[in-house]
Parts: sequence; C-alpha cells; structure tokens
Amino acid sequence: MEPSFGALLNVLLLSLLLVTALLAVSSRDLLASVILFSAYSLLMALMWQRLQAPDLALTEAAVGAGITTVLFLVAIFRTRRREEE
Amino acid sequence: MKRLVSLLFIGALALLLLYVVSKMPPMGEPTNPTMTHVVPRYLEKSEGEAHARNVVTGVIINYRGFDTLGEVTVIYCALAAVLAVLGREKRGRIRDYVELSGIPSSVIVRTMVALVVPFIVLFSLYVILHGEMSPGGGFQGGAVIGASMIIFTTVFGLHLSSVKVPLKVRAALEGSAVITFFLVGIAGILGGGNFLAYAWPRVSQSLQPALVTWLTVLVEVGIGLGGAMVFVSILFAMVREEGADEPLA
Repeated sequence: MEPSFGALLNVLLLSLLLVTALLAVSSRDLLASVILFSAYSLLMALMWQRLQAPDLALTEAAVGAGITTVLFLVAIFRTRRREEE
Repeated sequence: MKRLVSLLFIGALALLLLYVVSKMPPMGEPTNPTMTHVVPRYLEKSEGEAHARNVVTGVIINYRGFDTLGEVTVIYCALAAVLAVLGREKRGRIRDYVELSGIPSSVIVRTMVALVVPFIVLFSLYVILHGEMSPGGGFQGGAVIGASMIIFTTVFGLHLSSVKVPLKVRAALEGSAVITFFLVGIAGILGGGNFLAYAWPRVSQSLQPALVTWLTVLVEVGIGLGGAMVFVSILFAMVREEGADEPLA
C-alpha cells in the first residue's frame, strides 16, 4: 500500500513533536528549553490543524508559541540561579 | 535503592498506561462514547439553538457558558496574582531594558514591526468578531493582540507601548471579559430565563435568533478586549525595570 502524503506528514509531525518535547525536558540550558517548547507549540498547532481543530490551532499558535514563550523568557532573564552548576 | 524504586514505579505506570491505551476504542469510530453522548446534539441542533455558525463557539459560549465564565474568571485572577506580586507601574513613568540598553535596535526591524503590528491588530479584531462564524473567537483574538503588543514592546520599549495602551484604558478593560459575561448572564434572568440563557422567553420568537447571535458576539468582544488587556498588563508588570519609575530624561 502506498502511504499517503497526509499519513507521512502525520508521522513527520508526531516524531518532531516527540523530539522537541524530549529535548525541551532534557536540555540543561533554560533558554534552549523555552525555544524548544515554542517549537513544540508551533508543531502542535500544525497537528491541531491536521486533526481538523482550527480553533485549537489558533489558540496554540497565539498562546503556546507566542505569549507563554515570551513570559517564560522574561521570567528567566528576571531571575538568577542560586545553586552551583 | 531509591533509584530502583522509582524505576519500578515508572515502569509499572508505563505498563498500566500502555494497557489502558490498548483497550481504548479506535480513533474516529462513530460508536465511540465521545461521539454518542452530547456531540450529536451539538452538531445537529447548535445551528438552531445556539445560532452560531461555528459550532465550537456555540459550545463554548452557549452550551458550556458557565464553564467558560469560570475560565475567564481564572484568567482575571491570574492577572490579580501577578499584580499582587509585581505591582502596577506608576502612570507614564515606566521603562524596560529596551530603553535602558545602549544598543540601538536595527532600522529594518523597527520599520518592519511598525508596518506589521497594525495588520496583526486588524487580524485579531477579525478573529474576535468572526468567532461566531469562523475558527477563533474572543480568547484567540485577545491572545493575538497580546502577542502584537509583545512584539511592539520588545522593539520600541515599554515607555512607548504604555503610551499606546495607557494604564487607564487597561484598568478599565481588564475586567470586561468577566463583567460582560456576567451581565449577559444576569440579562438572561431579567429576560425571563435562567442565568446565562441567551434565548429570552420575554422576547418574541422571531427576534430570538438575532438576539442569541448578537449576545454571543457581545460576549466574544468582551472576552477579546478583556483577555488582550490582561495579557498586556501581565507583560508590562513582568518587563518593567526595577527602580526605573523615574520620569524619562
């Protein structure tokens, strides 16, 4: 059976989601973590659209990739690490 | 020992979850419980009951309005918590690292942002006002306005964006989501129905579809403006530089 373009796209999106999620959790650098989390949100927005949930896709893109990323970034720059590396 | 216990626990949890997943009904099957309870009612009747062409909006604002009223209140409480910790700025006297840093921002970035931000705001108004008939709605549109203010603030600095969206406007509109939603709910009681009833029994049958649609749009606009101002206020409270509340030189 010839795999369809949609199925291939799903596999690609889902595997990228897994990769970004794992990297965001395991990264030692908080800045890299936040950027990976933002990438995860963008991919998730695409996935919501693939699942025919455009309302959720809009929310995920605006809130997940936009606002929370910036709020996390500001929070990182405004706080200091006390524990030794 | 501790490691072994946690490994065992995680392994058991993973096995349990995998077992549950294997027992779940196949995705998209029409006989699934998710497809047989309320979904047929929403899909078949929402056009005639909620009078919103976007079924999702009909469900969120109308069928599950009470739930959404709670969510809107939670967002407002989040702002109250942020302000309780970080404090509100003094009017017209705020700066952030963009103004305080000596590095001038690129002309290309400044020009692009100045060109693009009005269109982002226009798009967000479209998302809010068309929430009744196309994907999106008050919350999404409000978040897009918040995102546009984030871009504006990171490029032009907090002082200029606090001039564009002054404290007076934000303080007046922050609660509009909760207030509009609640007043529409009370209006449902005054109209002869229950709390949050959009179809008022006291209004003639022929006017009711238009009434329900316009009340939905009104709630969407309230949530959009309120949500946007909440996002902007949280951002302003967070990026404000400590001890920079002096007048600009």
